[in-house]
Amino acid sequence: MAADLPHTMEPADSGASASTGADAHGAVHVHIASSRFYVGIFAALICLTIATVKVSYYDFGAANIVLALVIATMKASLVAAFFMHLRHDNLFNTIAFLAAFVFLGIFILLTYDDTGYRGQVDNDYGGKIDPRTGQGAAGGEPATSATADSVAAEKAPGAVVGKKE
Amino acid sequence: MFRRCRNMVVTERTKMANVSEPLQVPGHEESHPDFLQHHFDTPAQQFGAAKLGMWVFIATEILMFGGLFCAYAIWRGQDPKVFDEAHHFLNKILGASNTIVLLFSSLTAALAVRSSQVGKRNLTSFYLVVTIACACIFLVIKYFEYSHKFHLGLLPGHCFGHPGLSAAIQNGEEVGTCLRMDVNSASVMPEWVRAVDEEGHVTLLSPRANMFFGLYFVMTGLHGLHVVIGMSILLWVLYKNVKGSFSPAYFTPVDLGALYWHLVDLVWIYLFPLLYLVGKPE
Repeated sequence: MAADLPHTMEPADSGASASTGADAHGAVHVHIASSRFYVGIFAALICLTIATVKVSYYDFGAANIVLALVIATMKASLVAAFFMHLRHDNLFNTIAFLAAFVFLGIFILLTYDDTGYRGQVDNDYGGKIDPRTGQGAAGGEPATSATADSVAAEKAPGAVVGKKE
Repeated sequence: MFRRCRNMVVTERTKMANVSEPLQVPGHEESHPDFLQHHFDTPAQQFGAAKLGMWVFIATEILMFGGLFCAYAIWRGQDPKVFDEAHHFLNKILGASNTIVLLFSSLTAALAVRSSQVGKRNLTSFYLVVTIACACIFLVIKYFEYSHKFHLGLLPGHCFGHPGLSAAIQNGEEVGTCLRMDVNSASVMPEWVRAVDEEGHVTLLSPRANMFFGLYFVMTGLHGLHVVIGMSILLWVLYKNVKGSFSPAYFTPVDLGALYWHLVDLVWIYLFPLLYLVGKPE
């Protein structure tokens, strides 16, 4: 009998976007792209993949990672917008999707802020040092032992991990 | 009483939609198809709810991988040179091949959804089979990459940077034996790993490069697990499709299964450049 209970809630078509809507019967109506269009998106993705591999053979310094991530984001946007239908979907789905990246950004920034500046915050602690900076750090290594880098330098001169002097 | 109440709602809707023909009376078989769960008013409402649920799930998946991407960002920021050296042990060509395989499988997954939308059942099955086959190719390539790295002794753990490992390589011994070494018999001080990278250079790897390989194995391993799960989902969708459960009116499982598969592709789109491509070229 539960199936016969009336609903006061409006059906989804009132809130949906024009393309993922419903007719008066409440049937699903979605935007259907042509096969040729999907193949075109695939071709664009392959071109971007070749571009990102080619670019990796040149040394642009710090720009390498920026370029790689920009191309990856272009590819991800194509996949999300067209293969995953976000372009013609309810806007709220896009918001849910993008919200994940906002929170991921907050997560990474705050973690970086914590780990990146520990040595400075705990400068007076004295007991431990940060092996990277040589500064005091509560989360670092005991100041009495040699740092990993100087041990490494003895073992394999010429292949030393960069250490700021 | 319920019936009267519903009829009033129906009348209201008919007015709002401004259509001449009246709506089907709820309970009639056309407005209550088999696939419509009783707690949804219309197929469109059910479809919208399913899609939103899937997108929220995708958001949680991104956050799960996000923890690893965060670890990557922090460790790479601390040891850029170690990451730079270690990433030369990954084969760009194999990585790029896997990228193309996954992108192609994403295309066929999208085409499977499209075929289902227009009611071409056999074509949907065909595209699903191609997608699953691509997933298998991806896993086979991954298997060869993994076994090569195990052979080089790049798997983090007591093996990585183990004293004796670099000597064993120099003596031309089978490096895989390090897995059977008695750890307690030697000093546990990690040593620089001497190994040959993908470009054929003999490279000394800092013991701290195990962070890179740890991230490599965990990130690609978790991604590989998603590939296996995605394959299982698509197999189930294929089974239901062959049985004839889907139609242009109801293709939600095909759509959501494909969404999961595209997520697998999305994660790899970021994993590939971050693990295989970033770093100074030699």
